[in-house]
Amino acid sequence: MKRRSFLQQFVYVVAVLAAGSLPFGLSRLLAPAAKADPRTHLRPPGALKDDAAFVEACIGCGLCGEVCPPRCIQFYQREGGNKVNTPYINPEKKGCILCNKCMEVCPTESLTLVPREKIDMGIAQIDRTACYPWVDHGICGACAVICPLGERGIGFDFANIYRPVVKKGCVGCGLCVEVCPHPSLPIWIVERSQGTVAKHRIG
Amino acid sequence: MSVQANKPLFIWRHLNKLRWLVMSLVFFMLILLPMLHVYQTYVSAHAYDLLSPSEQNFYDFMETITAPFVSDPENELDAIKGTTWSGTFFGLKLSDPLAAAGQVAASLKFYWPFVLTALIPVAFTLVFGRFFCGWLCPATFLYELNTTLGVWLRKAGLRTGNRRLDPRLKYIVLVLGLLLSAVSGSIVLAAVYPPAVVGREIYYAIALGGFGVGAVFFVVTLLFDLLVARRGFCRYLCPGGALYSLLGRFRPIRIKRIVENCNDCAKCNAVCEFGLDPLRDNFGMECNNCSACIAVCPTDAMTFVVRMQDFPYQGPGHLGRHYRRQQGKKQTIDDSDEKA
Repeated sequence: MKRRSFLQQFVYVVAVLAAGSLPFGLSRLLAPAAKADPRTHLRPPGALKDDAAFVEACIGCGLCGEVCPPRCIQFYQREGGNKVNTPYINPEKKGCILCNKCMEVCPTESLTLVPREKIDMGIAQIDRTACYPWVDHGICGACAVICPLGERGIGFDFANIYRPVVKKGCVGCGLCVEVCPHPSLPIWIVERSQGTVAKHRIG
Repeated sequence: MSVQANKPLFIWRHLNKLRWLVMSLVFFMLILLPMLHVYQTYVSAHAYDLLSPSEQNFYDFMETITAPFVSDPENELDAIKGTTWSGTFFGLKLSDPLAAAGQVAASLKFYWPFVLTALIPVAFTLVFGRFFCGWLCPATFLYELNTTLGVWLRKAGLRTGNRRLDPRLKYIVLVLGLLLSAVSGSIVLAAVYPPAVVGREIYYAIALGGFGVGAVFFVVTLLFDLLVARRGFCRYLCPGGALYSLLGRFRPIRIKRIVENCNDCAKCNAVCEFGLDPLRDNFGMECNNCSACIAVCPTDAMTFVVRMQDFPYQGPGHLGRHYRRQQGKKQTIDDSDEKA
């Protein structure tokens, strides 16, 4: 008899907990975690470097997106999992113009205002086997023209004036990715530690 | 102010209209702000000629409605930004208390500049209880329309759900949400809190070209309200409502039934969205001071009072049948006493 009432209570508690976790389960079902391509999912400028800390701090209010002049900030949806509703920038669609507005408006510490040179969204990486000027002496230079950091971010290789070379000042805003005319996008943003700037040339 | 107020202030009757105005205004702003943002992006791009014809129409429309108020739309329209979850209001950053609680739980530390943005809402909640739920919440706007839809469905002969669950369930949702936030390191409450979901999804739909996953969640909550319990999500599951109920436990602004004017018609019980029992002085922590019962009362028996606790049951209304019968009995007893 005692065991029976204990079981009944146990079932009751489990049922109540299940009912309480119903909304969370539903929201999780709607946003299962998938592997997001890091090339198309950059954090906005000023984001905490540790992505786990960023997800802890971001409340998903969407203010960063709501002040973004080029509307480049998007939000994780179904692919998000835990990151759902946190912001990202897809440079293949739109790059960041480094206007600082999102960092100023962010109510939490997740986007902290840092000077332009200290922004670290990543660093551009150029595939020299696909970029027009590098492959067949084409004339392009779109990435170097658009770069908001100018000579500090991306420049031309000496004597091969249209061959773009990423320099150490690059903050990874992704504007070069946005404007790159090559269909296979031979330029993309990687994490700073994985960039090959130093290997090719001292920036 | 516990003077015997036998008449409610005449304005209390009309507060419900003001409440609908405020709720509509908040909802309207949630639609307008993303549109203003899209307009701002067009302005800052300086490329009117490159817009498609429909975008140009949109640009012209927004220019027409904003031109009287701002000269520099690119920057001046930043004055009001965000949603009820978190936003800036003429330089003042305001956040939902639940957002602050969720962030503290997720990161397990206090980041004061953010927690303090919830200070003003918390102060208001301490005084007015769950006023947010009744007066500002953009989801409430849709849920109350959903209730009306339920009434129509019932009139059409369809059955809608009207189950009663335990209102304490929402505290479990809140605690579970905070625990899950702490464990998973992400603010899971943000995804299950309807006002946050609504504000965000409207923004996604207007500025980013489509609803996100939250829209599905919100539709499910609407169905839950229709099929399981009227306003069920707010009453039984909403973690924000749970937090405000706790904060508003000792709210000084309350609704009181004036027993002398009450005739037991129970219209207040019928109109109460949260299924409370104003007729028996049972408001509790759930009452969101929405004043619908004051507006509907035909005998002016509902009013606001300044009091830290609800009145205990004051007995049947003095204009009602039960009270008269009681009085009659008492009278006869008194008479018989006198005779004896």
